[in-house]
Amino acid sequence: MAIGLAARKEERLAWGLVAPAVLVIGILIAYPTFLNLFLSFFEVRLDGSKTFIGLGNYKNLLTNPNYYASIWTTFIFLVGSVAGSTLLGLGTALLMNQKFPLRSLVRTLIILPYFAPVISMVFGWQFIFDPVNGIFNFVFADTLHLISPDTNLIGDPDSVMWVLIAFTTWKYFPITYLLLLSRLQLIDKSMYEAASIEGAGKWACFWHITLPEIEFVLGTTILLRLIWNLNRFEDIYLLSPQIKTLSVFTYEQAFSGVIDQGLACSAALIQLLLAGIGIVYYIKKVLKW
Amino acid sequence: MKKGITLLVVALLLLTSFSNVFAGGQQEAVEAAPEVATPAEPVEIQFWTRQTQSERQEQIQVLLDVFQLLNPDIKVTMLPVEDNEFSTQLAAAGKANRPNLIETSAFYAMSYNVDNIVDSSANKAIINSVGADSFFPGSLNNVQMGDGSYFGVPFHFAAQGIWYRTDWFEEAGLEAPNTWENILKAAEYFNDPANKQYGILIGTKPENYTQQTFTHLATANDAHLFDAEGNLAVTSPEFKEAVEYYKALSEFTPPGPQTWRARDYYIQGKMAMFYYSTYIMDDLSLAEVAASSLTSENFSDLGGGTFDSNLVKNTAFVPLISNTESSGYGEIMTLSVLKSEDAAKTAATQRLAEFFLSDENYIPYLHVAPGGMLAMKTSVIESDQFINDPKGVYANYGKAKINEIAGGLGAMQDFLKTGESLFPESASILAKNLVGQMLYNVTIEDKDIDDEIANLEKEIKRLLEN
Repeated sequence: MAIGLAARKEERLAWGLVAPAVLVIGILIAYPTFLNLFLSFFEVRLDGSKTFIGLGNYKNLLTNPNYYASIWTTFIFLVGSVAGSTLLGLGTALLMNQKFPLRSLVRTLIILPYFAPVISMVFGWQFIFDPVNGIFNFVFADTLHLISPDTNLIGDPDSVMWVLIAFTTWKYFPITYLLLLSRLQLIDKSMYEAASIEGAGKWACFWHITLPEIEFVLGTTILLRLIWNLNRFEDIYLLSPQIKTLSVFTYEQAFSGVIDQGLACSAALIQLLLAGIGIVYYIKKVLKW
Repeated sequence: MKKGITLLVVALLLLTSFSNVFAGGQQEAVEAAPEVATPAEPVEIQFWTRQTQSERQEQIQVLLDVFQLLNPDIKVTMLPVEDNEFSTQLAAAGKANRPNLIETSAFYAMSYNVDNIVDSSANKAIINSVGADSFFPGSLNNVQMGDGSYFGVPFHFAAQGIWYRTDWFEEAGLEAPNTWENILKAAEYFNDPANKQYGILIGTKPENYTQQTFTHLATANDAHLFDAEGNLAVTSPEFKEAVEYYKALSEFTPPGPQTWRARDYYIQGKMAMFYYSTYIMDDLSLAEVAASSLTSENFSDLGGGTFDSNLVKNTAFVPLISNTESSGYGEIMTLSVLKSEDAAKTAATQRLAEFFLSDENYIPYLHVAPGGMLAMKTSVIESDQFINDPKGVYANYGKAKINEIAGGLGAMQDFLKTGESLFPESASILAKNLVGQMLYNVTIEDKDIDDEIANLEKEIKRLLEN
């Protein structure tokens, strides 16, 4: 009974502590969210006038085959980029958890892509893959003759998604690496020693000690990366605007040429709904939190 | 408890990440009360220009400083905005922060007029004040709606066409690329990807440059978005032929989706022809302007190239292209007054536009980008003062050539007009980049032409129905 009372007190305290932050963030996002919902039922013109069209924007959106194509594109991008940044982040964290000369310097250098401005990185990559002057074609086509001189990896529809996934993986794996490395450093070394005495190999140690220990952090980084990449816009639009993920599709509806903010609001709301369902499913069924 | 907080944090993260999208709508909904200027305070107006390069802005700012000295009751704020970004920025500005005067393409100004934010009566007052007769004959038709109202004032224009290497053509014994047949033949002849040399640059990226190159080639085949009776004409045989021709030509353009930036390959001596506006004139003739197009200083092994001082001499411009008919194309830039609830601001905006269009200020404005900003006032383009720009670009070409290029304005055709019929709907179609997307699908994604034209028709109908 006493334990239950203490637990309830603790719970009340916890809610009390997070309440101010929840309140402030709630106010900051509640207004635009409900305004977004409101506008999604209107045709919004550039002169500020609005015409109520009911579910017209949703009907328009859901009968547009390009919208479904953008959902599929987003799915491929999410799977590739989240898997890529997670695996590379995990591998790098495991490697950087070993002792070797100049480890501190290498650990720092690895983070650089994450801090570099997106725009300069995008232009750098575009120049690397430029079919006429780029270093990639210079090495692989002109020097090693492994690919056709006509290759444009960043422009070819068959390869551009892979380039985008590679770019996103490279740019954002450091945050996964940082979070996992900090967790790896907290694992009690004696657990590995004991397993080693029992005859466990490196793979068994990773599977039965490391992975369970970092499971929560790993799950969290995947979750965050899913949310962030779902809404990622600037990297995709700058590097390869021909890849129409949901964010790019929504932007083009709202701000490109003929302004259609009502339609964009409905697209954003459906995206929010889809993301919400996906994330809750991930938390409940995959992470089992 | 842990589960509850985790779910709450996730929900907040999701919502926060969407707030940027929501903010777009937020801007539109907030409508500030109209400002009332008091006599003691200057009237503040905003001028948005497409001249985004810092050197150009500095020169325009000098003109604005002079204007403010002469008109101490007016304060002007200049904001440079990329042409492709104009609609985005206007939507983000909302009604409260809407600019008073914009310098933008005619078709964007037309689409803003359809959106009911252009003050056509103020534009008309400016034209009357400057003198309707002072503009090139027929140029006012390019800024006029069917009902006679003006969505802008003609400001300057850049003729567009094919620039080509006369020395290469002479050596190969090829004729100037002024017909569909000559262009395709030369593009195929000079295309040599194995040696990093390409036949021609046309747009293949889904953006406005692609629509511009296509428009010129398509109108040379009498292909339009609408026929003279106003029926959608993208399924016409002429339009399909134009798309097929464009697809064939794209085989000789550098690989991947290309845009205007690939003109660098021409300046590096790696391309025989490229489609461009007269904005290129200074890049071809001045080493310091061409520097950004040459990469050899940083990557000597990649053979970027050094400035070829003979390039201007060995380059010629074809402003008229023909197949079934002869067609010219260019981009007309307008000054357009946007609606304001404050009459004092509108009056101040008119004074600024009239200031820009007076000969003594008009020429310095046009000289910020010699070649790209040809005068639309007859008296100015024929004057020695205009030809003698400070950089000496026009002098490199000669007065006769400049007048010849400017003469192409009379033969200009675009998708906004079919014959004498004006179709403002075309402005929306082009602004939404539907034609550019179709061309990207055909040239880069190698999709079936018939299917893509059918999709284009569907997309246009969807756009116009909404």
